[in-house]
Amino acid sequence: MKLLLKIFPVLLFVFISCEDVIDVTLNEGEIRLVIEANILVNRENGETSSYVRLTTTGPYFNNEVPVVDNATVEIIEDADVVHVFEYQDNGIYVGELYPQLNKIYELRIHYNNETYTATTQLFETSHLENVEQNNEGGFFSDAIELKVFFQDPADVRNFYYFTAVSEKGIRRDVLEDGFFDGNKIFGLYRADDLAPGDEVKFTLAGVSEQFYNYMFTLIQQTGNGGGPFETQPATVRGNIINTTDPENYPLGFFRISEISNLQYVVQ
Amino acid sequence: MRLLFILFLVFPASLLYSQEKFSLSGTVTEGDTGETLMGVNILIPELSTGTVTNEYGYFSITLPKGEYKVRMSSLGFATENLEINLKENVKLKISLLPDSEALDEVVIESNVEKLNIQSTQMSANTLTSKTIKKIPVVLGEVDVLLSITLLPGVTSAGEGASGFNVRGGAADQNLILLDEATLYNSSHLFGFFSVFNPDAIKELTLYKGGIPARYGGRVSSVLDIYQKDGNNKNFAASGGIGLISSRLLLEGPIKKDKASYLVGGRSSYAHLFLPLFDNNNIAYFYDLNTKINYQLNENNRLFLSGYFGRDIFKISESFGNSFGNTSINLRWNHNFSDRLFSNLSLIFSDYYFGLELKFVEFEFESGIKNFNLKYDFTYYSSENLSYRFGINSIYYGFNPGKVTPTSPTSGINPAKLTDKYANENAAYIEADIKLSQRISIQPGVRFSNFNRLGQSELFVYENDSPLNYNGETGIYEKAKPIDTISSSKNKIVYTYNNLEPRLALSYVLNDDSSIKLSYNRMSQYVHLISNTSSPTPFDIYAPSGKYIKPQLADQVAVGYFQNFTNYSLEVESFYKKVQNRLDYINGADLIANNAIEQILLTGEARSYGMEILFKKNSGRLQGWLAYTLAKSEQRTPGRNANEPGINNGNWYNTSWDKTHDLAITGSYELTKSWTLASNFILQTGRPTTFPEGQYEYEGMVVPVYEARNSSRLPIFHRLDLSATYAASKKENKSFRGEWVFGIYNVYNRKNAASISFSENTDTGKNEAVRLSIFGIIPSVTYNFKF
Repeated sequence: MKLLLKIFPVLLFVFISCEDVIDVTLNEGEIRLVIEANILVNRENGETSSYVRLTTTGPYFNNEVPVVDNATVEIIEDADVVHVFEYQDNGIYVGELYPQLNKIYELRIHYNNETYTATTQLFETSHLENVEQNNEGGFFSDAIELKVFFQDPADVRNFYYFTAVSEKGIRRDVLEDGFFDGNKIFGLYRADDLAPGDEVKFTLAGVSEQFYNYMFTLIQQTGNGGGPFETQPATVRGNIINTTDPENYPLGFFRISEISNLQYVVQ
Repeated sequence: MRLLFILFLVFPASLLYSQEKFSLSGTVTEGDTGETLMGVNILIPELSTGTVTNEYGYFSITLPKGEYKVRMSSLGFATENLEINLKENVKLKISLLPDSEALDEVVIESNVEKLNIQSTQMSANTLTSKTIKKIPVVLGEVDVLLSITLLPGVTSAGEGASGFNVRGGAADQNLILLDEATLYNSSHLFGFFSVFNPDAIKELTLYKGGIPARYGGRVSSVLDIYQKDGNNKNFAASGGIGLISSRLLLEGPIKKDKASYLVGGRSSYAHLFLPLFDNNNIAYFYDLNTKINYQLNENNRLFLSGYFGRDIFKISESFGNSFGNTSINLRWNHNFSDRLFSNLSLIFSDYYFGLELKFVEFEFESGIKNFNLKYDFTYYSSENLSYRFGINSIYYGFNPGKVTPTSPTSGINPAKLTDKYANENAAYIEADIKLSQRISIQPGVRFSNFNRLGQSELFVYENDSPLNYNGETGIYEKAKPIDTISSSKNKIVYTYNNLEPRLALSYVLNDDSSIKLSYNRMSQYVHLISNTSSPTPFDIYAPSGKYIKPQLADQVAVGYFQNFTNYSLEVESFYKKVQNRLDYINGADLIANNAIEQILLTGEARSYGMEILFKKNSGRLQGWLAYTLAKSEQRTPGRNANEPGINNGNWYNTSWDKTHDLAITGSYELTKSWTLASNFILQTGRPTTFPEGQYEYEGMVVPVYEARNSSRLPIFHRLDLSATYAASKKENKSFRGEWVFGIYNVYNRKNAASISFSENTDTGKNEAVRLSIFGIIPSVTYNFKF
């Protein structure tokens, strides 16, 4: 339904409005630790990729953000087994972990004499089955549009994080099965100039409701917002806390997702 | 309550002592058309007293036996002087002739619409359709709401933003009445044009403060708009052809001098906004105004009026959307006596929003319906005392949303968000009392009662708390309902009662100046669920109930009013506080949400400011300068000491807070044929929230935002010009044509409607993008009348 929010401004400003890039002087906020901790388990082949990327916030108009290479990163399985993550580069720490359902995982990071923690568990996903290609898609029936289908399990509350990536652009979306519980439903991909031969990689990840809410807001805030119908933007927090100094809270999220991948070549 | 008691004591007393007196009553109409005239001043100079005609052109004043001069005056009309020998009750039917026609004649009574110095009413602005039509507008479309935003104390969230904000209040806090029927959406095309057809409108009054007890249900303002009744003398047509829309209005007698009709239509051109795309894309709006009135006899008159408006969008086969208001209103004016005037209204109004997304194969519908019964009385007790009292009962049905799959293969399940029902009742009394030559007061009180009725599914939460604060992560989270209750929609499940005192006072300093004071308390039981800067057509209304409390506003205002020979000056200052203003938790998803209470927190709003209105009312140059210095803010603290609330519980500027707001509008009659007009607007930029940093997550560049609304868009200013050419009136020819040439935003200022921040996908760099909506826009419109 939040698609609506995107359609209206488009309609509105198609003709009369004009957009230009301007210089704005911004205030500078406090520097915070940013944590992207992803443990992804492939539903089809069981392959697992585990990484934690640590960066900090930076001034908005800078080209890149500082990486953090001097932290210690651990994930503790069921308050028992400790998996230590080693620093590689570009802020990325890698470790080995094979998450199982119903086990509790705790992320623990020590950085600048402060401790950051979060707990989560594995969330299941649905299998991406097939792709339907429509060459008369989009509002103006002139774009290639791909629908990738999956079967949502009935009577279970599911939250998904869907991505579609090709050279022509990336699409991220979060879905909840409130309106399609138990049905066969699709994720949608559309990109400017998508052409035959382009490769698209679809990923559907099972996520928590909290991640759904977090990502929902992030997608809104990174889309082309603005206009009189913009919502009040605010910095949203994820599931990680600073136990040493709660006020110095980090940004980012710790998630363990089962994922389903599908590769498709545009016909 | 003491006030009520005193009122009731005075009431019978005044009946007793009025035996020696007779009443002078009647209706005032426009000579050419038979259209009733509201707000006509009726003066009895000998007694230095007077009255004004009401919304139906009716007046009554009770005076001691004697001979009097009576003077009737109204803006744009030649003043009428009569001599009356009052030795019995006298009924008059007065016609006033338009000023412009009177000008052609030799005898000209100078006619200046003076401010009503004596009246206790303050913080109210009346605009006639004629005034509204003189104001230059974007794309040549005469616009009622745009003219209102040129008044002091009225702002909007920007160009192309729907709704308007009065004295720092939110857009849903305005009661918009069209022939007494509530309209829920005042804009076409998401705010570019208002839903009111200027040809069908007689007059409007905006009450920003000192709101009389006869109005209630919204906390900020009342915009009371009256449609024309229809010419009861001759058939007449008027219309116009513009760049955006065309209009046609027909009116005429059904029975001469007794009954008349009015039918008006307006439509924009279907493909106008999407001409570049060669598919079946349409975007247009239309509206229809109709009215029939029948004067049964001198004591009874019936009115039936209707409004129907829609916006329609269709984009190829994939997307369809329509929304708009409908209202039907039957009214009966009845004079029980020369002194007791009554009006009974039966009103239906409806707002519908429909959407079809073919590519996802579903339809969505939502809306609000209400039935309203109103019975209002005016009792003219003596020349120094009159009362208004009445009752009002509204039944609401809310449809928050219904999802229907449009094909058997659709992946979307049918879903119905729970319908909600409520009724709102009110009784009021207000008295206009002239205590002395200098002091007049208008005490009033409104009792309002709101009953939330049963519904099929009402969620119950642990500790009655629909949202919980997670202290660890610092996030508000939706609570899981522990139970659902279903009850009959005939059963009252929650009740609110409020007593709303109102008081207005005027103290006349001398013939030309006065000081006025007012206080009003207002309550509002239905709330627009919207977390955008300005309302959108798919925002829904939600009733008060267990989890949503009614908004309560208290406003005090004080003002100084002065008439000069050709000018008038109004200076006012106000302070307003609103309790129980709704706010939304960060990241709240309002669309198709069946449990709105899970994302709401309750806060408060306050605003204060000073307004100056300097007006030139007569002569070749007419117009006004309006300046407002104001502050409008709100805050939502946590429900207890452990919660931060929204924006850490700190006050923040509302999205329509404009510290300085200057509007100058004027028209100059160059020759008999040519009239020039101009607007100049200069405002502080509206508050907005900018990033104060960025971070990377999942390959996205995510902005880190500063505290809510702590920055502002650049200063907004704009100049508009227009020139109107009206062929001079020829003898024996009733047809009159008029060309209006306009330029909006003459110096092509790129005013920012918003500044958005995002990563440029080509360069990978973050940038600030300014969106400006209207650049310089020339326009031409042709209007006619016969």
